[in-house]
Amino acid sequence: MKKGSAELLILSVIENGQRHGYEIARQIELRSRGAISFHVASLYPMLYRLEARGLIEGRWVEKAGQRRRRYYRLTTNGHVTLAAQRSLWREFFVGLNRVAGLRNA
Amino acid sequence: MSGPDWRGLVRARLDRITDDPAHDEDIVEELAQHLVQRYAEYLDRGQDQRAAVRNALGELDDTDGLAAALRSAAPRGPVAPQPPIVGGAPSMWNDLGQDIRYGARILLRSRGFASAAVLTLALGIGATTAIFSVVNAVLLRPVPFTGLDRLTVVWQTDRNTGTVREPSSLPDFLDVKERSRQFDGFGGFDASERTLTPLEGEPSRLPVLLVTHDLIPLFGVRPILGRVFTAEEDVPGGPELALISERLWEQQFQRAQDVVGRTIRLNDVETEIIGVLPADSDFGIMQILRSAAYARGFADRDLRSRVDVWISLRGDTRVLVRDTHPLLVAGRLAPSATVSTAQAEMTTIMADLEAQYPSNDARGVFVEAMGDVVFSSVRGPLWILLAAVGLVLLIACVNVANLLLARGTTRLREVAVRAAMGAPLRRLVRQFAAENLVLALASAALGVVFAAVALRGLVALAPADIPRVTEVRIDGVVLALAAAVALMTGLVFGIVPALQARRLDVQGALKAEESRGSTAGRERGTLRSILVVSEVALAVVLVIGAGLLIKSAWRLSHVDAGFLAASVLKAEVQLPSSRYRSRSDQFPNFVSVHRFNDELLRRLAGLPSVEAAAVVGNHPVDPGFQNSWQVVGREEEARTWPEIAIRRVGPTYFETVRLTVSTGRSFSDTDGPLAPTVSIINETTARRFFPGQDPVGQEIRFWGVNRRIVGVVRDEKILGLSREAPPAVYVPFAQAPSNNGSETFLVRSSAPLATIATSLRAAVRELDPQLAVFGIQPLTQTVAESVARERFVMLLLVSFAGVAVVLAAIGIHGVLSYAVVQRRHELGIRMALGAPAVRVTGLVLRQGALLTAVGLVIGLAGALALTRVLTTQLYGVSATDLTAFAAVVPLLGIVALVATWLPARQAVRTDPLEAMRDG
Repeated sequence: MKKGSAELLILSVIENGQRHGYEIARQIELRSRGAISFHVASLYPMLYRLEARGLIEGRWVEKAGQRRRRYYRLTTNGHVTLAAQRSLWREFFVGLNRVAGLRNA
Repeated sequence: MSGPDWRGLVRARLDRITDDPAHDEDIVEELAQHLVQRYAEYLDRGQDQRAAVRNALGELDDTDGLAAALRSAAPRGPVAPQPPIVGGAPSMWNDLGQDIRYGARILLRSRGFASAAVLTLALGIGATTAIFSVVNAVLLRPVPFTGLDRLTVVWQTDRNTGTVREPSSLPDFLDVKERSRQFDGFGGFDASERTLTPLEGEPSRLPVLLVTHDLIPLFGVRPILGRVFTAEEDVPGGPELALISERLWEQQFQRAQDVVGRTIRLNDVETEIIGVLPADSDFGIMQILRSAAYARGFADRDLRSRVDVWISLRGDTRVLVRDTHPLLVAGRLAPSATVSTAQAEMTTIMADLEAQYPSNDARGVFVEAMGDVVFSSVRGPLWILLAAVGLVLLIACVNVANLLLARGTTRLREVAVRAAMGAPLRRLVRQFAAENLVLALASAALGVVFAAVALRGLVALAPADIPRVTEVRIDGVVLALAAAVALMTGLVFGIVPALQARRLDVQGALKAEESRGSTAGRERGTLRSILVVSEVALAVVLVIGAGLLIKSAWRLSHVDAGFLAASVLKAEVQLPSSRYRSRSDQFPNFVSVHRFNDELLRRLAGLPSVEAAAVVGNHPVDPGFQNSWQVVGREEEARTWPEIAIRRVGPTYFETVRLTVSTGRSFSDTDGPLAPTVSIINETTARRFFPGQDPVGQEIRFWGVNRRIVGVVRDEKILGLSREAPPAVYVPFAQAPSNNGSETFLVRSSAPLATIATSLRAAVRELDPQLAVFGIQPLTQTVAESVARERFVMLLLVSFAGVAVVLAAIGIHGVLSYAVVQRRHELGIRMALGAPAVRVTGLVLRQGALLTAVGLVIGLAGALALTRVLTTQLYGVSATDLTAFAAVVPLLGIVALVATWLPARQAVRTDPLEAMRDG
């Protein structure tokens, strides 16, 4: 996977609302139809790094009758970065397609 | 669908991630939740449980990488930003602070472990601190006297009788003072009692010291108010002057500053107060009196522990002649002198006096350091108790070390992760040290609280003859010791896991599910077994020591004292010479004294429930005084005889204390003051001095009077229950009343003794309203107090032994429970293969039995070597008494069985399937 792609994937799945870690992993798996999967060992260090860089924000949420869970959402900074990354990746894919004859997935 | 303990599984793989345990907790929680859902997902997909668990756990692969990644990526919690690294030294202190904070949090997180460890240590530290407080106050604290090491007690000895600690005569004292060059000064004193008649309230008896004018300055004691006696006042016929104690000043005068010049009424004599002496001015006096051959009775009466009034001796050598020995002499060594040079000089002086005066025949001198006299009787027991409590502390430490080792196993992975991440060993050791520091300090704080509580009981229980026992408290020195002990134990036992980590195989520790089967695990198991064995051994030593003392106390309480104390009330009075004339030229016909005694006894005997009542000079466990004596016709032979105890008793005495007359007759009312003088001897006297003869009809001579022996009585243990009865002679009280008016009444009654006490007070008040009755108590209590020190040492040692056994049981239980958990897999397989529960239980029991047996053997051997220090504390029991040694085996055996039984049952309850799966 290209360096930085995991970042794009994570930021994308929480673009429209907060999710907890398992949901993030699951969403990525579902949307990629199983082609991409994240293990705990790689997902959480990534989440914490993103948080440390101020792109996402994790917070513990308690709901009645449930254990507290940590939900992640995009910060303003995260939204800006996601937009920038999207356009970068889009350009990259266009270039890739032209060269290697790929079809956009 | 809950499945396995995901949090536990995650934590086992990533014990310490960041420096903040609370934050680590969050990470663990988050990852665990992820795995829970993943596991559920796998189950939904139709995987079986095992596969689902395995696959979910697979996500944690590359654990050390994960930990490192998490660590570097982890968001910083709101707390604990890394301290800025300024330079070498400050950063070290910052790190230390961080380590301590981390240590405290770690301990808070594992409350079960922490509270067990803290409680155990606190128990050990508390007991040690309490006993040390006593040792500190009694033996170690500076004494109130200036230069105690230069002070000596100058005893006289008697070669004829073999006694070495006799008081001196006044003429000898004056001669010695005149001739000695090895001493800077001398002072003399004699103990006495006075009845204090206050302006209002009941009269009471006060312990009084008659002192030569040089005694108080010799000790270096300065009055708080006023002055001490002058040489001019210390002469026959000198003025009636008194120094009072701080206590009496407070109690009678509410610390009035103008007390000097006022008077107090002592034995009906108005006595002027010239000064007040500080509270501890009577330091050592009671111990000197107790050591002396004749003076013990005074100090023992009412367990006296203080002096309230000092009166000038004003000794008259015409009255206190050379063959009267009332004076205890203290001397301060000259700067160049030592006890042995002083002894040499005094020996010469006494030899000269012996040559000069016939009454000094066979009299020598014994110079003894005052510190030895004061402390010798308590030093032994106190050091024994301190050593015993040290063993308890050691056992507590062993238990905590055990806990730490068990914990070290779980912590091993943490150590491995940190070591793998490059933490230097130094830092790891320090982290453990910091944790143990926190543990130790918490234990010390709690231990001091325990000690404070224990001390109250201890001081209340302590026999009054321990010098300065009322001054026992927890002070700076004691706190420092508690802290030092705590730090030592914490450091020594806490570093063990860190040092073990040094030889750690990082990969192995990270991979191993449990350290079961690994070399490190087996080593730790061995170490823990050694700890338990030593714990059992230490407990055995303590239990045997306690057992010996219990047996000794039992022997003492069942000793045949000769008299029967039960149902007897004891009361004492002092007839003042102003109203009860006792002129020596009329001895023994003190009419007013005898009238009072007869009348009081008549009233007491008239009480409905009273079986018998008697007047005596001394109660049965008061040694009273001794005198040299002869058998008429055998004077030459008697020169080498020891002194004989003089017992002055009314005719009803034998009946009152149920003392059997074995030959001849008892005293009767006809043996009055003017009747022919008679005596009764005890069996020891008959056996030693009249072998093969009938003593009845022969005559004994002392105090210048011949007294015909009319009977022989059984021996009474008048020197205390633990000592053999000395030769004693009984004379009728009517023929030997007290010169100083001091008398004791004994009443045997079937009614409650409190009722009798009330009646007795009333009877005395009717006869003489101004007379004080004191020392009222059941005779059984008087007897019990006479063995108070033995009981005190026994009670303490028994409680220490109890604590030791409990701690040892906890230790055995802990080690075996842990062993059962470690062997779950194996035990599960055994049971799955059809091993009956009995056999599995047997496996665990056998391990416990082995540890206990080895500990017992070592402990028995240790006890054999150690209990001899108890020899001086034992009565009628040898230090290697077989029953005490034998009794410990079933006792500890049963305790160990119980401690082993619980883990054994736990082993049987193991579900084989679960055990194997988890394994």
